[in-house]
Amino acid sequence: MEIDRIIHEPARLRIMMILAGLEQADFTFLATTLSLTRGNLNRHMEKLESAGYLKVKRSFKGKVRNTSYQLTQKGSKSLARYWENLDAIRRSGQP
Amino acid sequence: MDTQQNQVPQNTEKLKDIPKWTRRYAQNRTLTTFVLIALTGLFAMFVAVPSSLLIAAFMQGSVILASICIAVLAAIVIFLIIFISKYGGKNRGLIDQQIDQWIYGHEGTASMPAPKSTKKKKWLEGIVGAVVGICILGTMYLGMEGYLAFKYMQPVSALYFVPFLVYLHFLQCPRLGPLLLICPILYTIHAILIVAGVPVFFTGNLCMLNLALPAFGYTFLAYVIAHIHSR
Repeated sequence: MEIDRIIHEPARLRIMMILAGLEQADFTFLATTLSLTRGNLNRHMEKLESAGYLKVKRSFKGKVRNTSYQLTQKGSKSLARYWENLDAIRRSGQP
Repeated sequence: MDTQQNQVPQNTEKLKDIPKWTRRYAQNRTLTTFVLIALTGLFAMFVAVPSSLLIAAFMQGSVILASICIAVLAAIVIFLIIFISKYGGKNRGLIDQQIDQWIYGHEGTASMPAPKSTKKKKWLEGIVGAVVGICILGTMYLGMEGYLAFKYMQPVSALYFVPFLVYLHFLQCPRLGPLLLICPILYTIHAILIVAGVPVFFTGNLCMLNLALPAFGYTFLAYVIAHIHSR
């Protein structure tokens, strides 16, 4: 049973779980909620986007740039599969 | 297997609860709507007061009062034209965004999916809104003309207003949380109390408050409770 290394990283797992409960969230919301620096969060979002787990939407709110994120269908399925595998590992380790 | 076990994150149950908490937060970000309703209520008051005074001025033949009221109403019309030119048409939704940014800007934006809108749904919303509007005006007219006792204005209005509020709530699902149903629940309880003989109503010139106060009051209360719940 393989654990998805991209999702498994603690910050990325939390990002995926936050987005799993929402339609979309913007960069500021994720940075504030996770208490991550902008650079750190940016790195994680790029990894998730490259893996095809996130859809990125760039727009302007007035004159301020706004980046919002949405979980893709691939991301949702990968997250569900991640939890299935993890739960299976936990069950196999129980006496 | 041991290696895999070591990879299992701690607090998996707490992690699995994260979507529930984020959904609760997004569904109860209600202050923006609260401010919009307050502004609408204030605007309605700014129109209603000079309008009532104008009618009274005509009936009494007071030219000065009538002139002042007409001047105030003209200023309101000019304000409305400027407002619509800035926030209407293509800029529809801009004021919601600006108020949202002002209140929640430092927290960022998180949203639930907006309900799917079809032409049929929009027509239905318009018809339902018009019917409720007519019912409200009808209730006010019946109360002022003495056909309906002041005491029963709120319970009668509950017959159409409560289903309307419930319909509005489910129209917005899943964008809004279930806490906003507090408003129709309290409105119903208020109606039951009046019918049971509890004197929670206004008479005479204040009879309009029988509808306005519960409608706005319970709506505000529901939105404030939802906002607190989101924290």
